[in-house]
Amino acid sequence: MMKKNILYGLFCIWAVFSVSALSAQTVTGIVSGVKGPLPGTNVVLKGTSTGTSTDFDGNYSLLNVDPQTVLVFSSIGYLTKEVSVNGQSVINVELVEDSQALDEVILVGYSSRKKSTLTGAVSVVDMSDMEKTRVPNVAQALQGQVAGVLVSSSTGAPGEEIQVRIRGEGTIGNNNPLYVIDGVPSRDISFLNQADIKTMTVLKDASSAAIYGSRASGGVVLITTKSGSVGKIKFNVDYYTGINFASNLPNMLNTEQYMNTVEKAWDNSGRTGANPYTADKGRADFADTDWLDELFETGISKNLQFSASGGSEKVQFLMSLGYYDQDGIVISDNDKYQRLNYRTNINANLTDRLKVGTNLQLSYSTQDKLSSKGDAPGIIRHALIRPPNISVFKDINDPTYSERDPFTDLPFYQHNNRDTGGWESDKYEWSSNPIALASFTDDKRTTFQTFGNIYGEYSFLKNNELTFRSNLGFDLAYIHNKRFNENFGDDDGGGNDLDQGLGRQNRPNNLNEERGEARTITFNNTLNYAKTFNDLHDISALVGMEYIENYSSSIGASRARFGTTDDTFRYLDFGRPDVDVWNSGSASENTLFSFFSSATYVFDGKYMVTGNLRADASSRFSEKNQWGYFPSASAGWKISDESFLSDVDWLSNLKLRAGYGKLGNQEIGDYTYLTLISQIDDKVVVNRYGNEDLKWESSTQTNIGIDLGLFNNKLAMSAEYFEKNTTDILLPIGLPNFVGFVAPTFVNAGEVSNKGFELSLNYRNYDNEFKYSINGNLATLKNNVEKLHPNVPNIIGNVTRIEVGQPLNAFYGYKMVGVYQNQAEINSYLSGTLNPNVKPGDIKFNDLNADGIINSDDRDFIGSPIPELTYGISLSSEYKGFDFSMLFQGVEGIDRYNDAKKILDYDSRPFNYTTDILGAWDGEGSSNTIPRVAFEDNGSSKVSSIFVEDASYFRLKNIEFGYTLESIIGLQDVRFYVSGQNVFTVTDYTGLDPESTDFMDQGTYPSSKSFLFGINVKF
Amino acid sequence: MKTIYKSIVIVFFFTGLVGCTDDLTKEPIGLLTTDQIDSNPTILTLESSVSSSYQLLSSSLNLIGDWDWDGGAVLRNDFILQDIASNDMNKKWNPDGDQAWMDELNDFSFTPENGAFNGIWLYNYEGINRINLGISFLTNEEVIQMVGISEARKNQLLGEAYFLRAFYYFDLVNNFGDLPLLIKPLESFEEAFDVATRVPAAQIWEQINSDLSAAKLLLPSVKFPDAAEPWRVSKGAVISLQAKSALFNENWSEVITRVSELEGLGFYDLNDNYFDSFDVNKEFSENEVIFAYDHRSGETPRKGNGLCALLGWGFVAPTQDFINAFEANDPRLLYTVDVENQNVSKILGNTVGDNKGNDDSPSNKIYIRYADVLLWKAEALNESGDYEGAVTIINQIRERARTSPTADGSAVPAGTLADRPNSTDRAQIKTWLMSERRVELGFESQRFNDLKRWGTAKAVLTGLGKNFQDHNYLYPIPQGEIDKSGGTIIQNTGY
Repeated sequence: MMKKNILYGLFCIWAVFSVSALSAQTVTGIVSGVKGPLPGTNVVLKGTSTGTSTDFDGNYSLLNVDPQTVLVFSSIGYLTKEVSVNGQSVINVELVEDSQALDEVILVGYSSRKKSTLTGAVSVVDMSDMEKTRVPNVAQALQGQVAGVLVSSSTGAPGEEIQVRIRGEGTIGNNNPLYVIDGVPSRDISFLNQADIKTMTVLKDASSAAIYGSRASGGVVLITTKSGSVGKIKFNVDYYTGINFASNLPNMLNTEQYMNTVEKAWDNSGRTGANPYTADKGRADFADTDWLDELFETGISKNLQFSASGGSEKVQFLMSLGYYDQDGIVISDNDKYQRLNYRTNINANLTDRLKVGTNLQLSYSTQDKLSSKGDAPGIIRHALIRPPNISVFKDINDPTYSERDPFTDLPFYQHNNRDTGGWESDKYEWSSNPIALASFTDDKRTTFQTFGNIYGEYSFLKNNELTFRSNLGFDLAYIHNKRFNENFGDDDGGGNDLDQGLGRQNRPNNLNEERGEARTITFNNTLNYAKTFNDLHDISALVGMEYIENYSSSIGASRARFGTTDDTFRYLDFGRPDVDVWNSGSASENTLFSFFSSATYVFDGKYMVTGNLRADASSRFSEKNQWGYFPSASAGWKISDESFLSDVDWLSNLKLRAGYGKLGNQEIGDYTYLTLISQIDDKVVVNRYGNEDLKWESSTQTNIGIDLGLFNNKLAMSAEYFEKNTTDILLPIGLPNFVGFVAPTFVNAGEVSNKGFELSLNYRNYDNEFKYSINGNLATLKNNVEKLHPNVPNIIGNVTRIEVGQPLNAFYGYKMVGVYQNQAEINSYLSGTLNPNVKPGDIKFNDLNADGIINSDDRDFIGSPIPELTYGISLSSEYKGFDFSMLFQGVEGIDRYNDAKKILDYDSRPFNYTTDILGAWDGEGSSNTIPRVAFEDNGSSKVSSIFVEDASYFRLKNIEFGYTLESIIGLQDVRFYVSGQNVFTVTDYTGLDPESTDFMDQGTYPSSKSFLFGINVKF
Repeated sequence: MKTIYKSIVIVFFFTGLVGCTDDLTKEPIGLLTTDQIDSNPTILTLESSVSSSYQLLSSSLNLIGDWDWDGGAVLRNDFILQDIASNDMNKKWNPDGDQAWMDELNDFSFTPENGAFNGIWLYNYEGINRINLGISFLTNEEVIQMVGISEARKNQLLGEAYFLRAFYYFDLVNNFGDLPLLIKPLESFEEAFDVATRVPAAQIWEQINSDLSAAKLLLPSVKFPDAAEPWRVSKGAVISLQAKSALFNENWSEVITRVSELEGLGFYDLNDNYFDSFDVNKEFSENEVIFAYDHRSGETPRKGNGLCALLGWGFVAPTQDFINAFEANDPRLLYTVDVENQNVSKILGNTVGDNKGNDDSPSNKIYIRYADVLLWKAEALNESGDYEGAVTIINQIRERARTSPTADGSAVPAGTLADRPNSTDRAQIKTWLMSERRVELGFESQRFNDLKRWGTAKAVLTGLGKNFQDHNYLYPIPQGEIDKSGGTIIQNTGY
């Protein structure tokens, strides 16, 4: 109370000094909205900037009012209302919610613009609408929300990286967007807490993103965090807990089916002697293990959020605390992700000209780095391939059983005794026990991040038209990786002298620790001028500079052969100090310096033009090429405001927009333009041959858009067409190997184009007690490589190839046309091959050049990993206290290389198979799609279309049902909700998750299906 | 008021400009520019530039890349190009589809994309480029002055360097024929495309010979020029490679001269026990090995033999034809492969299966040993008409083999590996020599080169049902090299 009085006193003193004339009349009143008083509403005398804003209870008071003037009431989210004073001394006003919030002011980079005057392709995601998605990573909140923005997670493991692509893949290198959080740029947003975000604005086209110049070619996402507002203190507590399950798992063979299959495979492979699998059938020591079922358990997630916010006209604050905890769906709880977020935001209007503020976020997260994808060790992969006849645990009477390591490892292992049959690895393969892998995993990534900014803003000129703003941002991250590789498994007789007799996994045990630090300081200053002349000419202009400095360093160490491996001894001191001791340390740094400017002119709210220019200098290029210049221009015409359309009542908004601009990319390593020699580990080698001519990559983008609003903007539509052409791509060209094994030299070469059409539709009806809205968006994309370097006709990946005329990273290999049914077919088809090493039942590949030989000349493009169509549909509704929402999301026209299928169904080793293999070729006419099972190559060792699958999917991403009790037991609102995520997925893809981003899916941690229950309390 | 905001504007641009000029040029952290080395060289840079070239001779895993099986780069793959291709060796004990590219070498169904070619090309050229950098330092007078290295040490390092370059080119020219010739570090990345052209093999041989001559002058006449590091190139290794070069060019008199020169040094002899050359406990204390890569366990960075890891995964097995090539009771068979226990003792460095599966195994990789050298001499003598001399050497080799203690301790029955009778039938002696080389040097990555230079590869391999054709006498240039050079590297005919 004391504090409030002081503030009030200060306010009064300021008020006394600022009032220079005696009032003609005093007007007072209350401004309210649907839900009661509206604090912070601006009340201005029309045509001036004189005015005030309402207090906590919606009260306002204006002195010195001309009785003939008009008062303008405006508040974000409400339709602006004008009321003539006409001598009244009390004017109470009720504002109506703006169904499309067209005059919402949105951040477009260093400054704000009214949505109605935007000329670029900008999409705003209001996070209060997004609260219901309940995602651990803020980037996931964009999924399905914005046309042309594709969000996918690399695997479903807790805390895993999220990939965001705005308008496709523009370049061969880094395609990640630039994030700008409260004015501070960042390349990563995983540390943010969803509950702290107010809005996310996606700058999709060049005309809007060019203000971020050199780093904007992947698009820009501006993130504004929540801040306190004038009014009494509000508290918000939200808690939910949920359970997660694996879904979409393949069906694997049971022991009986497996034994029949390997028996057949042996017979099919021309082996001599008795079939060992026939003899083994029905063995007493066989288990019937469903490894996937053993591996996956129910995961638990918990989320607790607390925030308090409020403030006076002078000072507003918000503080929040968040805790998120997820234990993933793999057994043993070594796949957890935890994050603690703390945040404060303070804004203070010291005078009517001077404003200061700060944001501070602390985030502490711990992620278990379970081997969630890939080959080695690949927990998921081994759960797929491990034969079902092996049990999870050893028999307690097995002499190799121990309490510490009760798991089976090598199949039917008996003390490395090969003579008595205790060595069946050749028969049942060298897979690892996924349960043991999961159980012994101890790999934690801990990140402590401090992110924030402090700013001051001073306004000049009579009506504060000119604002100088200085902003200092900092991003300090401390990273600690700690991995203890516990020794386990069976002794296979290997290992060097010191380690004889140890189990084969992680032999010897070892600990790796790494500590890193990354520091980014951003300092930017802007001068912003905005004024309206004669009610017709809106002018705004901005100039600024920015300086960004980044330094990161790390040290690491490792020791092996720990005597005691209890958790309390998993520290470097306790490893053997004399052998296998490693340590490391390195650092890198870069700086970026920029000038930028922007100007907008709007005539009568109908015609608008905007121009931007940014100049960036980066330490990543040699002195002569440090500077890059990035201009853009755009224009808009609000046709619906023309007089000839003023009679058309149903048309509330019609605007045409067009823009053109140039963006840059500098996302390559530091010092890559220099020829550098590395001298480490008794080795002196050329690291890379440099290129002093290296310069920025640039992309030019043309955007044409139309906005349409009908029936008082109940139905709104936006459509865009864009063409984005990236040139001078920072292309790493691998020099021929005869110059040695050097890192590729970066050159500016190559061209990639992206063209697409984006549509979003929104229908809202809040007129009745049943309020609902439906949003839909879709985007098409055509990606094409236009040009590469003359010395680089193509860039070859494991299963992909980048080549002119194809989408980036298109899959490349042999095309399967069927299965050879008999020897005669082989002989005639492979007429050019001497002794073809092919048998009936093998995969028949397309002989592209019809020479009777299948060789590398017969390879072709067999699929594209870039989706042709992405879409999202969301629905939200409320009726009385009930609310209901759904979000569907999907992609179409995308392929993925299902490499797991290769080792599962078509491998030449006796791994387990999916039930699909029961339909394998088994004699003439039996199958033309699935080759024979065999312990020799049936054609599956070739990269071919048999592994390329359509990974299109349609997913019910989120569904939530809630009920709100208003004003009970002294609380403002209490809302209960239940929510489901990834509830169902429609896809033809046979891998674990069609969403995973790897080109080669080797078996990934799947996205889990989850159900949540939560409660939200406001008071 | 006006003055305030004017001054703020000025301050704001000023701060910016100052920051700009100072901080945009960053010195690279942890990496050297050539200017830095030229202006402030250290003795460590010189020493390491030579020792780093040796590494490409090792069988350590992932010297280049990270499990790049498809690129053939996981380890040096002479065993694929020589032993698997010549049908002495199978990929695995149990055939399967794993690393199918290796099988393509066995049945000659490979294409230029096969990783085996890229692998050996990459390892050899990486060795050449590393040593070119070393030679550029060691021949830079200013650098030598600044470092203050002794003349003797400089000469020794330079001698090693010239040998290594010759060694890598020797391997390349036999596998691929005409080659891009690089004898100094690139000045710029564009130069990579300027040198992207194949010079005739004759010119490569000239380079090999001149490098070896230079090396011989620089190295001292002692068995181990550096007793603390016996793995370093010695004069004996240089002379041996000179002899081998002469052999591959069928310059018989030169072969005889060089081998006699080597014998004159008196450093080498046949061991009493055939296996001593391979025994991990006798490395550098036995008499026969002339040049080997010294694998060691537990070093940082690693220097272990990674081929032993592959053995643990079931790789490297003998073909039946190879086993059949041994005469009855030849002790060398069990020392080479223990079929019953599926151990390749020659590679493991022991006969009991130790270190099988160990990716950091201590057993050395032998490149030149005296028995091999003697057989070159025998071949040269036979070709130049000294039949008695040739047969004498062959019998010397056979005698050592049959008198070696056997791996399983069993006695060698009388009559085993009986001496070859004196003969004047050159073809007969050559047949004896060829079969002797096969069993004496089995799995030592000599066989395919032998078959090629004898001109018998086609007959032998097609006889075994392999798809060997005339153009296979040279391997294809790795497809990637043709692609990356923009077409100025022309593929060998037939591919």
